[in-house]
Amino acid sequence: MTGCPAKDQDRKAKIVLETFNFRIIVEYLPLYWKCFFATLWLSGGGLAGALLVGVLSCSMRLSESRIASTAAGVYIESIRSTPLLAQLYFFYFGLPSLGIRLPEEATGILALTLNSGAYMAEIIRAGIQSISHGQIEAAISSGLNYVQRMRYIILPQALGVSIPPMLGQAIVLVKDSALLSLISIVELTRAGQILTSERFMPAEGFLTTAVFYLIIYYILKTFSNWSQKRLIFRGA
Amino acid sequence: MIRFSNVNKWFGDLHVLKDIDLEVEAGEVVVVCGPSGSGKSTLIRCINRLEPIQQGELVVDNMKVHEKKTSMTRIRAEIGFVFQQFNLYPHMTALGNVTIAPIKVRKMKKREAEKLGREILTRVGLGNKADAYPAQLSGGQQQRVAIARGLCMRPKIMLFDEPTSALDPEMINEVLDVMRDLAKEGMTMMVVTHEMGFAREVANRVVFMDEGQIIETAPPNDFFKNPRTERAKLFLSKILTH
Amino acid sequence: MKREHKKDMWGFYFEQLVQSIPFFLKGLWMTVALSGLSLVAGTVVGFAWGIIRAGKGKVLKRIIGAWVDLIRGTPFLVQVFIAFFILPEAGIQLEAFPAAVIALTNLSACFICEIVVGGIQAIPSGQREAATASGLSSYHQLRHIVLPQAMRIILPPLVGQYVLLIKDSSVVSAIGVTDVTRVGWLTVQRIPEGIMVFGLVGILYFVICYPLIRLSNSMEKRMTVVTTRL
Repeated sequence: MTGCPAKDQDRKAKIVLETFNFRIIVEYLPLYWKCFFATLWLSGGGLAGALLVGVLSCSMRLSESRIASTAAGVYIESIRSTPLLAQLYFFYFGLPSLGIRLPEEATGILALTLNSGAYMAEIIRAGIQSISHGQIEAAISSGLNYVQRMRYIILPQALGVSIPPMLGQAIVLVKDSALLSLISIVELTRAGQILTSERFMPAEGFLTTAVFYLIIYYILKTFSNWSQKRLIFRGA
Repeated sequence: MIRFSNVNKWFGDLHVLKDIDLEVEAGEVVVVCGPSGSGKSTLIRCINRLEPIQQGELVVDNMKVHEKKTSMTRIRAEIGFVFQQFNLYPHMTALGNVTIAPIKVRKMKKREAEKLGREILTRVGLGNKADAYPAQLSGGQQQRVAIARGLCMRPKIMLFDEPTSALDPEMINEVLDVMRDLAKEGMTMMVVTHEMGFAREVANRVVFMDEGQIIETAPPNDFFKNPRTERAKLFLSKILTH
Repeated sequence: MKREHKKDMWGFYFEQLVQSIPFFLKGLWMTVALSGLSLVAGTVVGFAWGIIRAGKGKVLKRIIGAWVDLIRGTPFLVQVFIAFFILPEAGIQLEAFPAAVIALTNLSACFICEIVVGGIQAIPSGQREAATASGLSSYHQLRHIVLPQAMRIILPPLVGQYVLLIKDSSVVSAIGVTDVTRVGWLTVQRIPEGIMVFGLVGILYFVICYPLIRLSNSMEKRMTVVTTRL
């Protein structure tokens, strides 16, 4: 390279423009946009389901009934000891052999829900157990029963403490949704795969995919930081 | 009102309450004292079954606490319990703390309960702090809210487990004042404490415990001036030279 | 008639599955090898990055921090695809297994880096001040004062992270690495009983992961006892 800076810059810019085909990305932008929203609503559905499953399985885990507690325990430990992809394939290939034929999106959300649900249960459990035992004794002493204690004293505080780790799990959920591309669901990662297989441009494909994921990541992270500041202020 | 008959309790292999016989009449103020580990906290925690007993009979307000099938909700509604660590609910205001049980257990209407709550908070000197959160209150104020929380249930008995031990010295009196007033109004009280001045002023009886047993019971003047047992004498000599 | 037929088929598939067990064990070995390599390399790199991040070099800190953030903000599957498809474009030809190792090592290093930073920063700065006052160099401070104590804090989450990474290794099946998950995927094409096949896959992962989870939990319990005594 010669020593002329302006010319070098031009040349470098040309190399970038030639090697990284922005025009293709612009062409496929509608697809990416569609997939971006697909990822959002797949993750969102998984998150909502996970919260429900989490609260349910956590109360089963902490209940006094041996059966409920063991059942929930088996569920949580199985999920935590096996990879999401194996669970996803389990439902994708397993449900049809039971005669249940679900659309892929449903199977995907089911797997995401059950997977994150177990982690949510653990998060909620940690939140509940962080409530000082003395308060529970005070609640017992004033005559409140188990359900009342849970509803008015324990859960309100536990949920407040649980919000930051839950947001962390939300981030994990968005990343987990990428696996749904492997069962032919059209979302962000699949967009990258499509660009790779249709146009042989994996760089443009997957780097654009990565950028979209990073956008979601930074939005969630900012929200998490903001909510943590608000919770500390409350003195909880 | 409270009767322990031949009560024994173990924590695993540790025998923490040995052959306890004790009666507390309505309107009596009983102070329980003794060295640490003597079982005094355990004793009063058995009364509302925060701790279960393994042997013996414990009857409170004519209800058999020692029987597992006795539902404790009714009994606990008649007993106010004040803890050493206050144990207020941090996510509720003072008013919220004192009214939650009346609303949910006694099924009072919210407006009634709040009126009662403000009255009782005023009685303990915290009328203007009803909407404050525990984190905004000093230790002495928190403990007074805890007492108000117990009183809002209109209990027959108030139990205190070392109520001033976690307080800075300058706040002890504000709490003791509230307790003194309660005693003068005729509340049945059982207080585990080291505050001997309080015992002398208000107690009908002092119960001295050591190593899980009741060693001596006597009216305060007799107990402090003429302790009968060696262990009581030893304990008093250590406490009073403070 | 149909139910009996189904039962027969089920029995038939079960036999076939049992015959495939050697194949599964090979896949298990692949998972172990892949995870083992990546975890060891990732731990070394992760500790190096963590020590730098907890130190003073502002520029390096930021660069590593930015990279870690990128890795934490994108799905591992996408990272694997990038390693497999894009690195060749930059001139580095990779087969599936090496690409997988690189991607998993990188992932491990990033997460371990954050755990190490947390452990080091948990040591009160007063100790480092005392060490500096007595003349110890940064290297010695790290080696004899900070790291030994930080290790107690780092170990439980580190073991927990290993479990997460072993599970993440299943993702590389997408680029054809024949780990346990891929063996399952291939097998289910022949033996269309998803529940049996992936039930077996699950059991195999469980056997590796569950003991590690228990280990991490018991380490954490032991550690909290020590700190509350302090």
